[in-house]
Amino acid sequence: MAIITKVCDEAAGIKTFTLEFKEPEIQKSFDYRPGQFVELTVFGVGEAPISITSSPVNKGYLELTVAAVGKVTRALHLRKEKDVAGLRGPYGNGFPFDEVKGKNILFVGGGIGAAPLRSLINQMFAYRDNFAKISILYGAREPGLLCFIDDLEGWGKTENSEVLLTVDAPDAKWRGNVGVVGSLLPKIDIDIKNTVAFICGPPIMIHFVLLDLLKMGFEEEQIITTMERRMECGVGKCGHCNIGKSYVCLDGPVFSYHQLRELGEDI
Amino acid sequence: MKRVLTTCEFCGCGCNFYLGVEDGKVVAIYPSVSHPISQGRLCIKGWQGHEYIHSPERLTTPLIKKGNRFREASWDEAYELIVDKFNQIRTRYGNDSIAVFSSAKCTNEENYLMQKFARACLGTNNVDHCARLCHASTVVGLATTFGSGAMTNSINEIAGAEVIFIIGSNTTEQHPLIGDRVLRAIEKGAKVIVADPRETQLAKLCSLYLMHKPGSDVALLNGMMNAIIAEGLEDKEFIAERTEGFESLKETVADYTPEKSSAITSVPEEKIVEAARIYSRSKKSIIIYSMGITQHTTGVDNVMTTANLAMLTGNVGKEFTGVDPLRGQNNVQGACDVGALPNVFSGYQAVTDEKLRNKFEKAWKVTLPPQPGLTLVEMLNSALEGSLRAMYIMGENPMVSDPDINHVEKSLKALDFLVVQDIFLTETATLADVVLPGVSFAEKDGTFTSTERRIQRVRKAIEPLGDSKPDWKIITELSSRLGYRMDYSSPAEIMDEIAKLTPIYGGVSYSRLESFGLQWPCPSPDHPGTPYLHKGSFTRGLGKFSPADYKTPAELPSHDYPFVLTTGRVGFHYHTGTMTRKDWALEREYPTGYVEVNSQDAKQLGIKNGQTAKVISRRGEISLSLKSVDTIAKGVVFIPFHFAEAAANKLTAANLDPVAKIPEYKVCAVRLEKG
Amino acid sequence: MKILSKSNLVPFLEGLGLEFKVNAPLYEGQDVLFGDLDSSKLATDFIGKPRLSPKEYSFPQRERLFTFKNNGGVEIEAHLNETKRVIWGIRPCDLYGLKFLDMVYLSDYVDPYYQARRSNTILLGLNCNKAEESCFCSSIGTGPFAREAFDLLFTDLGDVFLVEIGSKAGKKLIEKQANLFTNATSKDEKQAGILEEKSKKTFKTYIDLGKVEAKIAGASSSPVWAEEAAKCILCGGCNWVCPTCYCFNIEDVTSGDKTQRVRYWDSCQLGGFTQMAAMNSRATQAERLRQRIYHKFSYNPDKYGGEIGCTGCGRCIDVCPAGINIAYILRRVAN
Repeated sequence: MAIITKVCDEAAGIKTFTLEFKEPEIQKSFDYRPGQFVELTVFGVGEAPISITSSPVNKGYLELTVAAVGKVTRALHLRKEKDVAGLRGPYGNGFPFDEVKGKNILFVGGGIGAAPLRSLINQMFAYRDNFAKISILYGAREPGLLCFIDDLEGWGKTENSEVLLTVDAPDAKWRGNVGVVGSLLPKIDIDIKNTVAFICGPPIMIHFVLLDLLKMGFEEEQIITTMERRMECGVGKCGHCNIGKSYVCLDGPVFSYHQLRELGEDI
Repeated sequence: MKRVLTTCEFCGCGCNFYLGVEDGKVVAIYPSVSHPISQGRLCIKGWQGHEYIHSPERLTTPLIKKGNRFREASWDEAYELIVDKFNQIRTRYGNDSIAVFSSAKCTNEENYLMQKFARACLGTNNVDHCARLCHASTVVGLATTFGSGAMTNSINEIAGAEVIFIIGSNTTEQHPLIGDRVLRAIEKGAKVIVADPRETQLAKLCSLYLMHKPGSDVALLNGMMNAIIAEGLEDKEFIAERTEGFESLKETVADYTPEKSSAITSVPEEKIVEAARIYSRSKKSIIIYSMGITQHTTGVDNVMTTANLAMLTGNVGKEFTGVDPLRGQNNVQGACDVGALPNVFSGYQAVTDEKLRNKFEKAWKVTLPPQPGLTLVEMLNSALEGSLRAMYIMGENPMVSDPDINHVEKSLKALDFLVVQDIFLTETATLADVVLPGVSFAEKDGTFTSTERRIQRVRKAIEPLGDSKPDWKIITELSSRLGYRMDYSSPAEIMDEIAKLTPIYGGVSYSRLESFGLQWPCPSPDHPGTPYLHKGSFTRGLGKFSPADYKTPAELPSHDYPFVLTTGRVGFHYHTGTMTRKDWALEREYPTGYVEVNSQDAKQLGIKNGQTAKVISRRGEISLSLKSVDTIAKGVVFIPFHFAEAAANKLTAANLDPVAKIPEYKVCAVRLEKG
Repeated sequence: MKILSKSNLVPFLEGLGLEFKVNAPLYEGQDVLFGDLDSSKLATDFIGKPRLSPKEYSFPQRERLFTFKNNGGVEIEAHLNETKRVIWGIRPCDLYGLKFLDMVYLSDYVDPYYQARRSNTILLGLNCNKAEESCFCSSIGTGPFAREAFDLLFTDLGDVFLVEIGSKAGKKLIEKQANLFTNATSKDEKQAGILEEKSKKTFKTYIDLGKVEAKIAGASSSPVWAEEAAKCILCGGCNWVCPTCYCFNIEDVTSGDKTQRVRYWDSCQLGGFTQMAAMNSRATQAERLRQRIYHKFSYNPDKYGGEIGCTGCGRCIDVCPAGINIAYILRRVAN
C-alpha cells in the first residue's frame, strides 16, 4: 500500500507520480535496480506493470512516470496527492550496472520509453566516476512530449557527458535537431569498442536504432534494450509476456540484443 | 458446484452448455458433448460471454424518472404509474396509441405473453420486435415461395452437403457453430461458394469467391439462373412436379445474361457461370444466407430469388438441400413463431383471418382487433407524428440497433410515456419514464427456438438479482393490474397454452423438450418434429417461382457521399453490446468500433490505418478508427454497429422494403474525412 | 497393491465424503463431467476423458483471489480455498496435467491460491482401458496407464479395481476403510499389465514425439501455422479445455466500495492476449497458433527440465469448431 505524495505533469498526457509506502518498514526495505518495474493497483480499477523512474540512490520514495494509455493508467492520472495505490514488486531483472563500469555509455531513448533509462542514468551519475563518457540521445514526437527536461539539463552540464535532443515535429520555438532519434547517432564521437548502448522506446524506434547501431559496429552483446509486453502477474505465471522459454517479467524486461536473438524474437 | 444445462443466449445456433453455479453465482461453463449442435464446442461468446450476468451495472430495482434523473422505486409504484399512464393514454387516444417492442432475446413464453398483452390486454396489434430488422424479408419471401418462412434444413445437414452457396452471411463469425459445419463440409471435399462484398474468413477458404456490390444480389442470382437455364442445368422434373410459375421466372431471368449480371454486380462473367454450374450440378446443394440478403429495400426480392434458385435446380425439400436463412438472435425464430409480429398470432396465424381470430378470442376470452398493427420502424414514425403516444419496450435497444438513431431518439422523446424493461440501463432505457428490471437467461425458465426451428429449454440456474423479476412474471403482473388477468404458475404452463393454440407447436410440452428439444413443425404429442421442411410437397403445396427484377438500393453513392456503407457485426460482440461489452475477453478483442476501408481508398483519403476518420451520411456523423484492409471492395466501407459511442446507425437510413418493412442497413451513402 | 470390488467403490467414496469433499466423473445426460460426488450419476465405465480435466479444482475458470474494501483506508481479505478434497477417476493424462501445473505454480514464486487448493487435494487416478479417437497420450508417454503423480491409482479389472498406492496420503485413505479392500495377487497385477498392452492397441492418433522434439525448433517458418490458423474462429476452446494451459487474466470487479480481484483462464489464441496500447506482439493468428504449440513442445520443456506442456488428452482436437488438430500439426512439424 502506498501513498501518492506528489503528482507532476511531465509532458502532454504524461505524469510523474511520487509514491511512498504506507508502512515505513516496507519503504525502508524496498530496494530495486534500475530497469525493474512494479505492479501498481489503482483501487477499483485494476493493476498494471509500470517501470520505475526514480533511482535506488533516491531513498524514501519511488517515482513512476506514466502515460495515460490504458484503463489503469488513465485512472491513475485522475488520482491526486494523498490518494492511495497498491504496489507490489519490484519485478524483473533490471539493467546491468557493475558489469558496465569503466565503459562509455550510450543511451538512446524515445518518449515515455526513457522512463526506465532515467532510473539508470541517475544511478550512474551518482557514481559518475565509475563510467567513461556518457552520451544521452533522446527524442520525442514533438517538443511537448519530451520528458525529464530538468534532468536532461543537469546531465548535459556534467563533465564528460553529453545530451542531444531531437523531435519529429518541431514547433515554432524548437531550435534543436529535427528527425528520428537515430539521426543523432552520427553526431556523437565515442569509441564504440568500449561502449555499451541502452535503448528504450517504442518498438519501431528500437528496431531502427538497433539496425543503426549494428551498422556502426556495435556487437549484439553491447546493445541492451527492454521489451514491453502485456503482463498480468509479474511473476512468470500468467503467460502473457512469454517469449520462447523466457518470461519478460522474470528474465527481462532488460535483454541484450544477443539474448533476444537467441529467444527467436524479431525486433 | 451445481450444474445446469441450458441454451446459449447469444446467437441462433442454439448451442447448449452447462452453467456451473457456486454460491448463487455463475462461475463456470461446460460445453455439452451430446448436444446435436454444440457437440462439445462453443464459440468465444459461449465460453466466455456470460460475465455480464453478475455485472455490478445490472438493474436490480424498478426506476422512475423524476426530472432528468432516475430514482429507485418499488414494483407497486412502478406498476401503478404505468397503469395510470396507459389508461389515460388509451382513454384519450385509443388502443392503437400504445405499442410494444417484444424481444428476440427473451423466451418464447415471454414473447407469447407480450403479444397477448398487446392484443388481449391493450387491444392493439402494435407488437413487433427486432426480427423486423433482420429477417422480416425472410418471413415474407419464403412464405410466398415455399409457404414457411424458416430455415428449411437442420444445421447438421450442412456438414453433409456437397455444395454450399453462402450469400450475405459471415458464417464463422456470426453463427460460429454453423461455420463449424461449413468447415467440416470443406474438409470432406464440399465445394463452397461465397458471395459477399467483404472477403470474409470463409471467402478465403472457399472454392469460389464472388465479391459482389452491396445490394446487387438479385442481379447476381438472376445471372446464375440465366446461365443454368441457358445450359439446361435446371431440374425439369422437380420444376414440373413441385412448382408453379416457372415460365415467368424464365422470362425474367432471360434478361440477366452473365454479361449484364456482371455489369451490375462487378463479378466477372465467368465466375457467375462457374457458380451456376457448381451449384446446379450437385443434387446436394444448400444455400445459406443472412442479413446480406435480407437487410435491403429489396429484401423480399432477394429472399424470393434465393428460393427461385433452389427450386430451379431441385435443391430443396430433400435432405442436404435447402434454403437456410440464418436467424441472428438466440430466439428471433421463436419470437416470430409465437406471434410477436403485428400481423400474426402465434404460428403465423393471420390476425385478419376471422376464423383464427375467433379461436384466439375464445381462448383468451376477449375481443381482438382485426387490423394488423404497426411495424417497428412505423411505430417510431408514428411516435414522431403523434399518433403513437406510449411504448413498452422489452429487451431491445433501438437507440443503438435501429436505423437513423437521431430519428429514433426524436421519436422516443416525442412519446408521452415510455416503459423500458431490460437488464441494463441501456441507451434506450435512459430515455424511459419507467425502467423495469428483467433478468438474464440464467435466472429464468423458458424456451428458445434456434435457427433450425429447434425449441429448446432454458433453465434457471440462479435466483434473480436484487428485486429483478423474470420478464414473463412482469408481463403477467402488469397485465393483471391493467385489468386483463394472466395467471400462470410457470413458463411450462404458458407453453401448454402456446401448444394448444399453435399448430406448428402443437406437440410441444416441457417434458418432451428434455433431450435437446424438438424441431417444429411438431403438430401433435406423438409427432417427432421435423428436421427439414417441404419433404414431398411445400408447405403451401406447390413451390411458387417469384421472379424479381434488379432494383438499385434506395440510397446510392453520389458526389458528396461517394462511398457505400454496409454495416454488420463482429464475432466477439453481440448487437448493441449491452452484454458482451461487459466481458473482459470480448471487450479486449474489440474495445470499440472501427471503419473498414479498402487500402487504396484509405491511401487516397490520406488516412492511415489506426487514425481517426469521420464518417458522414445525410443523417449523421461519427468518428472512429480506420482499418485499412484489402478484403473489401473499393468504394465500400464497413462499420460494426455494436458500439454506441461510434454508432453506425447514426449513419444508416430507415429506407424500408415495401412489403417486409425491413430497413436497408446494408447500403447507404457516406463520405469519409480525416477526423 | 489392493483390490476393491466394484460394488465397494461407492461405499469407499461415500466414506471419504465424511472427511473430504469428493469429486468424480459424473454422467450428466450423456456427457461425462467432473462434479460433486453423486453416486446415482457416478461414471466408472466411460471411455476416454471427461470434457474438462479436473484442473479447475486447483485452478478454477474464475477465481476470486481477494476482496478489498476502499473506504478511506483499504482492507484486504484473501480468499484461500483450503477445502479438503479427494478427486476420484482422474485419467493418466490429467494426472500428468496436474503434475505439470504443480511445476508451474509451485516453483519459483509459489502461487498461494493454487497452493491452498492443491495442497489440500488428494488425487485418485483411473487408468484407461480404451482410447478415444482423439487420445494420443501413448505417444506423449503419459498414458494410457499412469506411472506417477497419483495418491491412489485404480485399474478396472472387470469386477474389481486394482488399486496401487502412490503416496502416504493415499495409503491412509485405504487404511481408514481397510475392510473394503483385499490384497491383490500377482495374477491381478499381471492382468493389469495385459490390459495396458491391450489398451495401447486401441489408439488411433499418434505422433512421433522424438521427431517433434528434434524438429520443432526448425519449424517456426513452416507454412502449417498460417494454413491451419486461417480456419481458426477464435473461440479459445483449445486453451479452455487444456489440462496444462495455465495462462490467466486478472480483472478487478468493483461494486460500490468493494473490489474483487478475479483471476480467469485466458487464451493465447486471442489477439487481446498480447495486445498493448500501441502494438500487438503477436499480431497474426499464425503466430498465435505457433505460440500455443511451441509453448507446449519447446518453451515449456526448455524451462521445466524437459517436461512437455501437452498431456496427449486430445481435448483440443475435440473442442475445435474449425477442425484444427494438434496431432496433424505435430506430424507436419515432425516431417
